Amino acid sequence: MKISFLLHNAYGIGGTITTTFNLAQALAERHEVEIVSVLRHREHPNFALDPRVSLQPLVDLRHEKEHPLHLRPARVFPAAEYRYRQYSELTDQRIGEFLAATDADVVIGTRPGLNVHLALQAPEHVVRVGQEHLTLDNHPPRLRTTLRRAYRRLDVLTTVTEADAAAYRRKMRLPGVRVEALPNSVPDPVLPAADGTAKIVVAAGRLVPVKRYDLLIEAFAPVAAEHPDWQLRIYGKGDEQTRLRELIQRLGLSDNALLMGAAAPMEAEWVKGSIAACTSNFEPFGMTIVEAMRCGLPVVSTDCPHGPGEIIEDGVDGRLVPVGDRDALGAALLDLVRDDERRRRMGRTAMENARRFAPAPVVEQAERLIDDARSARRTGRPLAPPEGHRIQRALVSQGFAVRDAAYAVASGALRTVRRGRR
Amino acid sequence: MNTKPDTRPDTTRGAHLRVDCTADADGRIVFGLPATAADEAGSPRLLLRLRPKKGQPEKTVHLLELRPAHDGRLLAVLEQQPALAEGRWDVYLLAEPDAPRQRLRPGLRDLRALVDGHTRDRPSPVAVRVPYVTKDGYLAVRAWLRTEHAEVEGIDVTDRSMTVRARLHGTSLAEGAAVRLRLRGGDGTVRIVELRGESDGRAFSFVVDYAELVADGNGRDRVWDLSVRVSSGEGTPPVRIGRLLDDVADRKEVFVYPAAVVGGGAVRPYFTVDNDLSVEVK
Repeated sequence: MKISFLLHNAYGIGGTITTTFNLAQALAERHEVEIVSVLRHREHPNFALDPRVSLQPLVDLRHEKEHPLHLRPARVFPAAEYRYRQYSELTDQRIGEFLAATDADVVIGTRPGLNVHLALQAPEHVVRVGQEHLTLDNHPPRLRTTLRRAYRRLDVLTTVTEADAAAYRRKMRLPGVRVEALPNSVPDPVLPAADGTAKIVVAAGRLVPVKRYDLLIEAFAPVAAEHPDWQLRIYGKGDEQTRLRELIQRLGLSDNALLMGAAAPMEAEWVKGSIAACTSNFEPFGMTIVEAMRCGLPVVSTDCPHGPGEIIEDGVDGRLVPVGDRDALGAALLDLVRDDERRRRMGRTAMENARRFAPAPVVEQAERLIDDARSARRTGRPLAPPEGHRIQRALVSQGFAVRDAAYAVASGALRTVRRGRR
Repeated sequence: MNTKPDTRPDTTRGAHLRVDCTADADGRIVFGLPATAADEAGSPRLLLRLRPKKGQPEKTVHLLELRPAHDGRLLAVLEQQPALAEGRWDVYLLAEPDAPRQRLRPGLRDLRALVDGHTRDRPSPVAVRVPYVTKDGYLAVRAWLRTEHAEVEGIDVTDRSMTVRARLHGTSLAEGAAVRLRLRGGDGTVRIVELRGESDGRAFSFVVDYAELVADGNGRDRVWDLSVRVSSGEGTPPVRIGRLLDDVADRKEVFVYPAAVVGGGAVRPYFTVDNDLSVEVK
């Protein structure tokens, strides 16, 4: 079977890229797999890709940035999508051509706009799997309205958490579409696990406001005051860098709280630590939590929607603290810094418990989904199992649809008014 | 209009091999390459090359044999001795004796043994090696080789001074020890600052009053390099103060200290590109 992933940009750094590479590599054990990267801006991907997976870029920004078609706005890629501005008539065309000509049996989209392409443009024989790495509740109403129409033409829609899958089932009527949570997988670590002796707390992610690294730095201040030999290392880059650096300096933490810059892969950095931290206000999945646990680190995380609570068992393999609660976060870190035995025990348990995110079980589930979808497409029977209370569900989802449409119209009107004022 | 993609499939992937490395606390480094990197019969070797200054010829290389391990990987060991000359060493594969050398990209760099390196007292000479990733994405080894070394363990900054805690390696404090700040690129202007030594003869601390660095009124755009003179004896060479003993090869953008405005100038301690401690006045 040939499986093709459609990815925004395989050459960047981020959770979706990592998890797509992981799944593609695991599927390549038994299938022919390619990753089609809509954009390319550098020679090599940041992450080494298994040579069995081929990589095909569609638009090379290094010399096509000024392509006349790339200067015109996209018409297939939905305008309400987050990345709309990076798409164009050129991407529309290249993605359309790729889909029309593909010899893949299955194409897997990896973000809303690409799922829309897939839903509208994939040939009849191709099984269409849309993946959502973000969450429905966080999509703007206008995007939800677009997706509500387009996603009906998918065979499978996967989310990364049960909570998000439940939201799609409740709020979008997608008859015949199988909606299922397929967690991100993290490869088996290569290095020996952390042994819990290092005096380092590690966090990793883009330096953007939603990650709340400001909260983490503030929460670390009492840890450094009580244990000056402990360090906090934050890996990643982003617009918050300057602000975070100022905060570190204001708190006098220049020797203890370090902005390390980006690191890929993170594995060798996780094992230098003995506690990991995730302080986001919102985390669709929480890839770094699983990565750290697989390396033997207990993770102190905010209990934000949606991922952390489905990954961490509070007090067993990590800690969950209320969102935005600096004191609770600091206390949870201090508990683990003070108690060597507890920290090591939780680290070992974290490693055990995170095995469910190993590629093997995740890829088995993905294969099962794909197989079901292929046979459904062949026999012409709908894939989704029959649902109870169908009328009631239809009514509920219709309510959400009306509300989203109203919001979308209202915000459209607002934009018109604003434009008029200019 | 040509709308065909002018991009070919990305076949360059894999053109650069990735080499894993593991560092021991004592400076030994084991490099690991996949079995497919070279034919064992070709007696493959790793080549470490001291990066020459721009425009200068390359002079110093170090060759390591690659031998198959039980898991099939090819391993090369950089032993503690001989010490590497101070500088940046680029890493290449020589698949066969006459084959062109191939620069290597980093795989996993397991440097956890280096993280608390400052907690172990070093004999003289102090030799340090930290594998790191170059700006253009290749593996290299940063090496320091110093007869003696003064390791910064912490800097506390106020709005008019800084207090530095440090520890000597490969030497110890004697009567008349003092810290010296030397104006870079100038006429040899120095400032001498008292230090407070601990009873072990290794640990010491000192305070730099920023006003002293801007006292002559034209102190802007200057850099002061810090070293310690371990005794008052004539001809005692100053020991540069820096921070070398952990896993951070490039410290400048990682350990960043706040600036204080003194006498119209912004004064700030920082680590140089060689991880030595200096104070900048802007």
